[in-house]
Amino acid sequence: MIWALAWRLARRELRGGLAGFRILILCLALGVAAIAAVGMLRAAIEGGLTDQGATILGGDAQMNFTYRFANAEEKAWMASHAAKVSEIVDFRSLAVVGDDRALTQVKAVDDLWPLLGTVGLEAGTLVSAFAVKDGLPGGIMQKVLADRLGLKVGDAFKLGNQSFRLGAVLLKEPDSATAGLGLGPRTLVRTADLAQSGLIAPGTLYETDYRLLVPGADLDALKAAAVAAFADKGMQWSDRRHAAQGVERFVERLGSFLILVGLAGLAVGGVGVASAVRAFMEARVATIATLKVLGAEGALVLRVYLLQIAVICGVGVTLGLVIGAGGLVLGAPLIAAAMPFPVAVRLYPGPLGEAAFYGVVTGLLFAMWPLAQAVRQKVTALYRGNAGRVWPKAAHLAVMAGLFALFVGGAVWFSGNWLLAVGTLGGVFAALVVLALAGFGLQRLARFLARRGFVEGRPGLRWALAAIGGPRSEAMAVVLSLGLGLSVLAVVGQIDANFRASIARDLPAKAPSFFFIDLQDAELPPFLAMVNANPAVSKVESAPMLRGLLTQINGRNARDVVGDHWVVMGDRGITFSDAPPPGTKVTAGAWWPMDYTGPAQISFAAEEAAEMKLKLGDKLTVNILGRDIEATITSFRKVDFSSAGMGFVMVMNPSAVAGAPHTSIATVYAEGAAEAAILRDTSKAFPNITAISVKDAIDRVVEALGAIATATVLAAGAVLLTGVVVLIGGAAAGVPGRMREAAVLKVMGATRGRILVSFALRSALMGAAAGLVAIVAGGVGGWAVLRLVMDLPYRFEPWSAVGIVLGGMLATLAAGVVFALAPISARPAQVLRSAE
Amino acid sequence: MRLSLKGNAGPVEILRGISLTVQVGESLALIGPSGSGKSSLLMLMAGLERASGGSIAALGQDLTGMDEDALARFRRGNMGVVFQSFHLIPTMTALENVAVPLEIAGEAGAFSRAKAELEAVGLGARGGHYPSQLSGGEQQRVALARASVGRPKLLLADEPTGNLDTVNGAAIMDLLFGLRDRHGATLVMVTHAPDLAARCDRILRLADGLLA
Repeated sequence: MIWALAWRLARRELRGGLAGFRILILCLALGVAAIAAVGMLRAAIEGGLTDQGATILGGDAQMNFTYRFANAEEKAWMASHAAKVSEIVDFRSLAVVGDDRALTQVKAVDDLWPLLGTVGLEAGTLVSAFAVKDGLPGGIMQKVLADRLGLKVGDAFKLGNQSFRLGAVLLKEPDSATAGLGLGPRTLVRTADLAQSGLIAPGTLYETDYRLLVPGADLDALKAAAVAAFADKGMQWSDRRHAAQGVERFVERLGSFLILVGLAGLAVGGVGVASAVRAFMEARVATIATLKVLGAEGALVLRVYLLQIAVICGVGVTLGLVIGAGGLVLGAPLIAAAMPFPVAVRLYPGPLGEAAFYGVVTGLLFAMWPLAQAVRQKVTALYRGNAGRVWPKAAHLAVMAGLFALFVGGAVWFSGNWLLAVGTLGGVFAALVVLALAGFGLQRLARFLARRGFVEGRPGLRWALAAIGGPRSEAMAVVLSLGLGLSVLAVVGQIDANFRASIARDLPAKAPSFFFIDLQDAELPPFLAMVNANPAVSKVESAPMLRGLLTQINGRNARDVVGDHWVVMGDRGITFSDAPPPGTKVTAGAWWPMDYTGPAQISFAAEEAAEMKLKLGDKLTVNILGRDIEATITSFRKVDFSSAGMGFVMVMNPSAVAGAPHTSIATVYAEGAAEAAILRDTSKAFPNITAISVKDAIDRVVEALGAIATATVLAAGAVLLTGVVVLIGGAAAGVPGRMREAAVLKVMGATRGRILVSFALRSALMGAAAGLVAIVAGGVGGWAVLRLVMDLPYRFEPWSAVGIVLGGMLATLAAGVVFALAPISARPAQVLRSAE
Repeated sequence: MRLSLKGNAGPVEILRGISLTVQVGESLALIGPSGSGKSSLLMLMAGLERASGGSIAALGQDLTGMDEDALARFRRGNMGVVFQSFHLIPTMTALENVAVPLEIAGEAGAFSRAKAELEAVGLGARGGHYPSQLSGGEQQRVALARASVGRPKLLLADEPTGNLDTVNGAAIMDLLFGLRDRHGATLVMVTHAPDLAARCDRILRLADGLLA
């Protein structure tokens, strides 16, 4: 009954259309659109990975081995379970043309490759590209690599000791998404053609992937069987259900992060919603009062306006969903072309529901306070235009608390990372509290200053201070909405600037010029002699290296003990040494004696050990090339992984790994100008070792981070846009008040210029207050994200902060001046007559 | 009763101790200079303002202890209020404005009764017009129809002719007294106009928050 009547009355009020709700609708629409677009993109990528999981993986399932081929037993198992098995070898090498050389990620394949999907070549077929012509086997290169080396189809290049002919240029590799971040562009050759290259020898760094076609098989059962048989031999399993786990994880994390930026945007929009609802309620206080005079209870009045707000929120949310989802669907061809993995763009109800949930809850949450205040206020106070200054009823406060809990719970549930979600929302809440205090402080200060002597003879300044400090001041709304928008931007700015600064400034100063890998024992002495003789080389370090997988801790599965810690997530470099390597700082325990031959011992990196809760005396099982070695932790060492120099999590006593094939790794620190010559001379003298330029590797990482930066900038852009809409909304809402003020001032003889200066001054002062809070919030938020979430060093980046604050001040000033033009040009008589 | 309101500059004493009884069926005019507390007294009687001290009873019910919602329920069917500035709902037509109190009270036939009441004030043909499409006098007639449509026992009018010219003001007063006579309601009216006050059974003068 009450709802029916409320709906009837609400409908009558809504007949006038939605013209007065543009800001509210836009604020909600922008926030919802950003969240919907991010969620849909994430779903589209996951959908693409699921749809084409088998093609991306290159088979129904894959068994991966590190630095070895599958042994006879493993091969027999695969043959007995799969219809087809294809073997792939993946490693880094240098492609050499004359004196020119470039790092490449080599994929050596058999005749069955690819089991699924097709290879995209610029011209010709796979068979013709690999075919032997003029005595040289064929190889296929990505265009960027062929161009870099100046190669045309038919030209020769070398990998290690083996010469190849460029058979074709690679356009599309069907199973590239599973490879992760390669340090160089791709070269494809046949494994059989590498026999004389000297590149795949015991101890060299390569991986083998065995792709299985198992039509109709129960993948769970197959996985369980394979894991039970071979996981402790270093075998890693993946199948078409989660073909590209790295991509999935990346997309999931980036998606969560972007959705949280979207939430911050929605919070900014929420302030706009609150301002718009307040303006809406202020325009209706007389109607509310009249309804109460006519006998309407608070519950009825609340429902009348709640229904109207719900309808308006519905329009805003729907518009946001259409913009977000529509934009993505329309942009699908561009998105598909830009992504290195398949994207299935279609309408996903899940992310759209998520975005709608946030929109509706935000709209209701921010609308509830001014609504609850208005229905509680006395009729006479409402007729005096005083809707605020009264606390909502306890029941309404409880509803607001419930909505807030729903919002937080939703954010935690949807983002899947409670720490990030609660941290973000906590940060937003803290920023709102600080901004509210700043707004209050600004009003008090303005009221105080407006009565001081120095403003005498400066009427423009006095009017501005009086307007900020007086009743019906816009200061609180402007400081809150603009301040929150600027704070979010400042935090993103600080993170971005710190990322760039740490990559550009910190790493190259400390990092070596090259890593040389796959140095055989016989090659090491002449190699070291060669580089040490070069005057441009300042430091050379070398260590023997094996790769191993930490499979068990004290007899239990390592992942069960320490979860997803990076040390157990894949194979790690392991070295061995009789004495602590130079510069080693043992933090606990003791190093083994020289020529120790007893049970295997291990020295573990102290920080990682603490994270994994390892103690001295714990027994670790490490699988090296299929062989399990159990060793006891007898010491912890301090290892600095941030310098990009040589760092091993695990060091073992030499006798523990005696006989295991290994190579050495060397780092060379040299002057930048000499790097090209060092690369040329060393690779000419030692053709089968691989040099990795740290600068090039960093460039590749920066390139990959570029996508994150672009996505972050886009999301921050949505926040900024919302902030601008809120700002414009606030400025527009203040026009009638300024209109009357300007008219009265003109009656008293004020010129338009003087009135404009006064209006501009109050905008600038409010913008400055919001900006100052944003600088502090940016610093604190940036520190929290970088130090607490990303575990990276933080340094306050003043230029980013100052730029954002100046931009905010200018935006407020511009909005203030633009929306002052109508009031100062209106004729006073008209304004004053309509106000009567 | 007493009324004190809080302002930015501190509390302001509006009514400083008033004792008043209005008989059923009586018509009472409250007069006095601006700021003397006339409208505040009327608002207290309507349950639209809360007394800071003392008590108010209307139609045998104590209003002092009622909360906002109880007061709103009490006004339904018991009271009709007319304001100087009409206070029509701008988003509703004249007919809808008149029907609202009946709709809120959940009474049947709201629109047919509202139509009849509009006809009684001479605006039967303007039912579909919005307040912005009506003159001041017409708006006040709609407000009168709205105040009387629920057959209230108590009619309260706060300077009902204050925003109208002499001719329109006189017409509104004729209508107001006609409605009061027709429904037998008690009428309390605030006015500055001595000739209008003179039409009431009793006149009380307020000055500085006290009955003079």
